[in-house]
Amino acid sequence: MQKFVLSLILLFGFASAQTGTLELAVDQSPVGLDPHVVTAFSSIAVLSQIYDGLVESNADLAIEPALAESWTISDDGLSYTFNLREGVTFHNGRTMTAEDVVYSFNRIMAEETGSPQASRFSQVSSAEAADDTTVVFTLSEAFAPFLGNTANLSVVASEVVESEDIGQVAIGTGAFMLDEIVPDTYVSLVANPNYYRDMQPKVAELRYNIVPEASTRAAGLRNGTYHLLPVVDPATAQTLENVNSVSILRTQDLAYSLLGFNTTVAPFDDARVREAINMIIDREEIVEAVYFGQAEAGGPLSPGLAEWAVDTSEYSCYTTDVDKAKALLAEAGASDLSMEILSFGTNKIVSDVSQVVLAQLIDAGIDATLDVPEFGTFVQRWKNSEFDAFVSLNGGNIDPDGYLFRTFHSDGATNVYKFNDPSVDELLVQGRTQTDLDERAATYTSLQEKLACSGPISHIAYGTLLSGIANGVEGFEQNPTRSLISLRNVTVE
Amino acid sequence: MTNYIIKRIADLVFVLFGVSVLVFFMLRFIPGDAVEIMLGANVDISVERVEALRRQLGLDLPIHEQYGQWFLGLLRGDLGTSIWTGQPVATEIMARLPITLEVTLLALAFSLLVSFPIGILAASARGTWGDTIVRIISIIGLTLPSFWVGVLLLYVVSVRFPSFPAIGFVPFLEDPWGNLSRLSLPVLAVSLPIIASLSRILRSSLLEVMNADYIRTAKSKGLSARTLLYKHALRNALIPVLTIIGVQMGYLLSGVVIIEQVFAIPGLGRLIIGAISERNYPLVQGTILVVTLFFVVVNLLVDLAYAWIDPRVEYS
Repeated sequence: MQKFVLSLILLFGFASAQTGTLELAVDQSPVGLDPHVVTAFSSIAVLSQIYDGLVESNADLAIEPALAESWTISDDGLSYTFNLREGVTFHNGRTMTAEDVVYSFNRIMAEETGSPQASRFSQVSSAEAADDTTVVFTLSEAFAPFLGNTANLSVVASEVVESEDIGQVAIGTGAFMLDEIVPDTYVSLVANPNYYRDMQPKVAELRYNIVPEASTRAAGLRNGTYHLLPVVDPATAQTLENVNSVSILRTQDLAYSLLGFNTTVAPFDDARVREAINMIIDREEIVEAVYFGQAEAGGPLSPGLAEWAVDTSEYSCYTTDVDKAKALLAEAGASDLSMEILSFGTNKIVSDVSQVVLAQLIDAGIDATLDVPEFGTFVQRWKNSEFDAFVSLNGGNIDPDGYLFRTFHSDGATNVYKFNDPSVDELLVQGRTQTDLDERAATYTSLQEKLACSGPISHIAYGTLLSGIANGVEGFEQNPTRSLISLRNVTVE
Repeated sequence: MTNYIIKRIADLVFVLFGVSVLVFFMLRFIPGDAVEIMLGANVDISVERVEALRRQLGLDLPIHEQYGQWFLGLLRGDLGTSIWTGQPVATEIMARLPITLEVTLLALAFSLLVSFPIGILAASARGTWGDTIVRIISIIGLTLPSFWVGVLLLYVVSVRFPSFPAIGFVPFLEDPWGNLSRLSLPVLAVSLPIIASLSRILRSSLLEVMNADYIRTAKSKGLSARTLLYKHALRNALIPVLTIIGVQMGYLLSGVVIIEQVFAIPGLGRLIIGAISERNYPLVQGTILVVTLFFVVVNLLVDLAYAWIDPRVEYS
């Protein structure tokens, strides 16, 4: 069918602009193709080219139209009306309508789908198609992050879900269409000739080469085998920096490295102990040693969220002071503190941060050890809160609620710290329901101040997102969310 | 001889059975099953759904029943179904096996081609500086891990000869030159330790044979050094070399598993590593069994080859 549509288009001569193949190198094969179920970055990097949401967030984290051309929000913040673009078609040729949006939304919310996106929409009481191009969402309570979250509402075609296995095929409305998956070798996408944005996409093919070794990806970028490495680790970036045929791009990442504590295990249930460890950690040293300077020390929110993030100079515990920390530990009766830090080895940042944090704690007289099981085991123990403390990377969000609620609310989806502070819970609920921007900002400022030093997490650093790009590739723009939506603008020489 | 082969094949079945038990239960000792990995960090999911998925995959049964089911399947020649793709395990393995075999056999052929002249040269030039150089180089070859050599080769070649296609994989039938050029560096990397050990063994084995009485007799008969070496000594020096080849095939396979990661070659190694981290039990079990079968068969062939080289060897 795709081939048929394609040849029909070619016959009528619409598709003329698209030329060339953009060769990307990524570390992992996509894990699953169902846009409502996947969580792996390797899947999202591919699926975000195939499926569209109602809106998208651009490189400055501002919300822009995607399938919805415009939207209105009622004054009480309870009703969102989206006006969809007209004449958008799925890759199978059928026109996308408001019913498809409603269908996709209901699929995300259905229990049997098991979608991780469902929790983002728990405030929505109903979604209705008013006509072919109008969708109305009604919320049970005001929920400020809702608009941004509709970027994750990937619109699927009901007939595809019902007749074929959506884990095996991918039919969306996006700029590229799935062409071929060769396991552990590459995933190939071809340009959608009917894409709703004029003159896009610009390349005829995107090829995601699956290359597990970082040094191999770097060598391939150097010699022209690959055009783009969406993610480059800092050490590799340094070696690529001096290569004439390659440039390194930088933007503030939303993900952060952290040392998380189990707040139900003594002595980490004592906020003074957590604050003391915050004082022992030398974040600047970690930024230099682990990130090669390509990071910024940060608190509960990424410095990339410039309107929301509190400057770290406001946090007293961010000034490294081992003597003060020892006094605080003594006060908490934890002078002979010993701890085991859980970590994993498949991510270089995580394993390096673990090493440096371990050394800093030992230097401060704490009897710290490191436990590095295989990754699946780490995930198990992490989920079941079987740790004193752990080092990991947490993903970010364009909205402060996305960072904080899931992490710190006592019912939060990823509150593996078992942190339970009624005053924090109250502020978190307040923050997501406030519609006045200034009031909302005040709420998040007090939350950050509450959480930075005595919360269940020592936030360490927000890395710089590094991408490597070959000369002659134009139009690629990094996005702090790591989304690769700008690939539709890319040209290859 | 026939009796011997039958006995060895019976042994082989026993080894495979043992390995199937070991792999099956060892995998279950790794915490976290496929369902938990599948659902990932998605903690909102209901307990009912987790249980339903487990039932669907047969992971809710007692472990000995799971093994029983799998084993009955094996007897019928059915390796099971891959959890993540729903494809038969045999199909997934067959898609990757030829690639790994190609790398392994190319490496073996290359190793033999290089190590024989080196070993003979070193033995016949014993005590000279040529011999010393060969010995030093072979020690280095033995010590350097092949993945490190692989990364180094890749780096040097991609900087010096950017137009040489060194990364990735294309099937031989699609593009023979592209296939061989991309496999040349990984083959070189995994061959180095094999070349080193084979040439060392060949050298010492040759030297030992050259000191034997019958060689001295042959020499006093007035045979040329050439005839002595190739006609009489080499054949007798081959037995230990053959043993080493059998053992090295195992190392070669494990070296290939790692080198596939470095050079992004979609062979069995990538399949195994991916399957382990996804807890894709049937796929790991099937792949390990196939690799074991390969290893055991190679050893059997090596044992049989002794008789061909040395007619005095008798099997019982």
